[in-house]
Amino acid sequence: MLVVEGLTCRFGTKAAVDNASFSIQPGSFVGVIGRSGAGKSTLLRMINRLAEPSEGRILFEGVDVTALRGKDLRQWRARSAMIFQQFNLVGRLDVLTNVLMGRLAAVPSWRSLAQLWPERDKAIAMSALEQFDMASIAAQRADQLSGGQQQRVAIARALVQEPDIILADEPIASLDPRNTRVVMDALLRINKHFGITVVCNLHSLDLARSYCDRLIGMASGRIVFDGAPVALTDRIARELYDLEANEVMDATPALAPGGSAVPALGTVAAA
Amino acid sequence: MKSFSSDAQAAIVERYPSHFRPDWWSRAKITIGLGTAVALFLFGIAQLDIPFHRLSDGMARLGGFLRLMLPPDPGSWAEALKYLNALGETVSIAFLGTLGGALLALPVALLAARNVVANRIVHFFSRRSLDTIRGVDILIWALIWVGVVGLGPFAGILAVICSDFGTFGKLFSEAIEAADKNPAEGVRSAGGNHLHGVRFGLLPQVFPILLSQVLYYFESNTRSATIIGIVGAGGIGLQLAEQIRVLEWQKVSFLILLILIAVSAIDWISGKLRFAIIGRRAVA
Amino acid sequence: MGRSRDLPIPALEKSMRTAVPEFPEARLQELADRYADAVAAKRRRVWLGSAVLIAAALAAGWMGDVDFRKFAENFWRFPAYFASIAPTFSFSSAWNDLSEWLWGLPRWTLLLGDTLLIAYMGTLSGAICGFVLCFLASANLVRSRTIVFVTRRLLEFCRTVPDIVFALIFVLAFGLGPLPGVLAIAIHTTGALGKQFAEVVENIDNKPIEGVAASGGSWIQIVRFGAVPQVLSNFVSYALLRFEINVRGAAVMGFVGAGGIGQDLIEAVRKFYYSDVSAILLLIIVTVMLFDFITERVRHRLLGLEGTGA
Repeated sequence: MLVVEGLTCRFGTKAAVDNASFSIQPGSFVGVIGRSGAGKSTLLRMINRLAEPSEGRILFEGVDVTALRGKDLRQWRARSAMIFQQFNLVGRLDVLTNVLMGRLAAVPSWRSLAQLWPERDKAIAMSALEQFDMASIAAQRADQLSGGQQQRVAIARALVQEPDIILADEPIASLDPRNTRVVMDALLRINKHFGITVVCNLHSLDLARSYCDRLIGMASGRIVFDGAPVALTDRIARELYDLEANEVMDATPALAPGGSAVPALGTVAAA
Repeated sequence: MKSFSSDAQAAIVERYPSHFRPDWWSRAKITIGLGTAVALFLFGIAQLDIPFHRLSDGMARLGGFLRLMLPPDPGSWAEALKYLNALGETVSIAFLGTLGGALLALPVALLAARNVVANRIVHFFSRRSLDTIRGVDILIWALIWVGVVGLGPFAGILAVICSDFGTFGKLFSEAIEAADKNPAEGVRSAGGNHLHGVRFGLLPQVFPILLSQVLYYFESNTRSATIIGIVGAGGIGLQLAEQIRVLEWQKVSFLILLILIAVSAIDWISGKLRFAIIGRRAVA
Repeated sequence: MGRSRDLPIPALEKSMRTAVPEFPEARLQELADRYADAVAAKRRRVWLGSAVLIAAALAAGWMGDVDFRKFAENFWRFPAYFASIAPTFSFSSAWNDLSEWLWGLPRWTLLLGDTLLIAYMGTLSGAICGFVLCFLASANLVRSRTIVFVTRRLLEFCRTVPDIVFALIFVLAFGLGPLPGVLAIAIHTTGALGKQFAEVVENIDNKPIEGVAASGGSWIQIVRFGAVPQVLSNFVSYALLRFEINVRGAAVMGFVGAGGIGQDLIEAVRKFYYSDVSAILLLIIVTVMLFDFITERVRHRLLGLEGTGA
């Protein structure tokens, strides 16, 4: 179980995340929603420890993650895999090597630095690629792939970390609608199939409602909503998104009844 | 992933054998490349007769020199003033040398740029002569000019001019060739002749770039100007070489400190000016 | 203007009149004034800049003992010097003259080889040190401001002190010979390349670095997989350029007794062995140009490969 207690992150005087507390059960699919700049990204980066918390604690299975240093910290980063909006692959390296980055914490340093990866780790990476139909492009350079392909490589990288939890920071914000589906379905499959906890930042309320089984709403660094998607009424959503509300809710007429259409969208999640 | 069995591993290896075979070809390339580099280095050690036994002795002696250098001390106020004067000479040499070299190089660079003078022969000869001039080190130029105008900073200035003439000629002509050709085409399409195109379409866009290169070289020339004193062409190098020869280490460190400060100051100023001229991007 | 005469002029004038509206005199004057005002500020800046430049040039000229009279009086010596070092050739005995001029060719070739080896060894060791240090000098990879600051100052020191000054000191410490030359070039190269490398590293894309860090990579792994693939081709290109510069530098190391062909050159200059001066100079220039050519080819191939993504 992941427990966050009074987590705060300040940049100067401004608090990007302000006194956030919640706990997440293993195997759940949690969506973090809110306007851009609400602190969602900082929250996820703090859990992976890419950003340093100013106050508060993060506990995972009783271990204080915020106090980890050195090798322990790297092990934790491997257990809490990050997926980024911009994929964050190493463009000049081939796809397989990029996926093998997920094995860095598990492979002896001298082997990884000399690129003499153990066969088992290579096999794990290939099998992860195979799951996303990408084994055939394993030898291509990562910067030659489309955005959707790159994000799937990034998910494969996260998967071979053998993580307990996947932190996805706006994973679909740079993708077209078709790839959005592909990537979100991949995350859902990982969640349901391997029982890996997924915490996913989403700008789109629609997607959050259809894929997640719990939503955490943030506004100017504070947690203002925490509950099941059904509990998120239109009124709360409007408060949450403020001026951006129309953009995420009413922009496309087809999505307008989003609040009341939970069952229909639920079938997408089951698919 | 947690339960990745050896069976699954074997199946994967069988399905994608090419990814699991060691890539002998690329490994051989890397090994041969590194091997050649190391072998050449070892050959150098043998050929140059590098005396390893002197390495440790020398290091110890160097450590001794370093200890003697602290604290930097010019000896007396009169000496300090003399050194400051020499530093002023060095900066003057660098400044006038850079300026003169740039002014002389500009017309030749235009000749050597393919988009200004389309003549192959002119292009070839101007490029080759610039290369020849560049092939002569600044110390050699200083030697020659000392023979012509005698000892002193003036010979240094002329040496910097000569050496910069070659460098700027090459840099300028490359910058001019890399320029966007649309503006010049625009001028010509409006009825201007080729020279108009160069004057109004080409020069305005390359001028800031050339200026920034000149400023950049001012700093590097200050460093070069410190050494031409070694062959008698004025400036702080003369003092430095002399103090090293007579083992006055505190004065040596004082002189080096002066050079460091002057070069950093000029680096800072030229950076600011370049920033003002062409903005942040090109400076980086 | 000559070309416009070929056109039917009345038609041209007519079309001009329709294309460019004619303003009354007062309005024209006003527009012209406004334009003059707008460029006046820029013009003032240019004037001010020129004035500063000229003042600085005069001050520097005074400081640097610029003496145009002396220059004019003695300028003939410049071509005369080249005339005196030029080898004598006559048609009847061209071959003999040539072999006489290049009498020392075997020895000079050997010394040139030494010079190249000094440049190579100095560049290689300097590039390795610069490679290691540049990552420590990059603020985007190292959190500790102190490490970045100290490494940068160290690199700056190595770069600012000219290699020949290091050579002067090293000759006293290690004795005459190529060793001080190699060390001097290595240290200067460490500084010069380290600084250039660090600038490249500071400009790389941060996303791959974050990606590797988030997967649990250690600092060395982050550098190895996040940074190095992005910078390697640039590094090699800079190192080749530096080698080119170091070949030139190594050629004069002998001036202070640090090995290579410079020793013979300065001796020839000092003892007025004119034909030897020109022979050695020619050999140096040819060698430098040859290596310029080779490194440029390699660099172009390297950058070309980068473009195609191989």
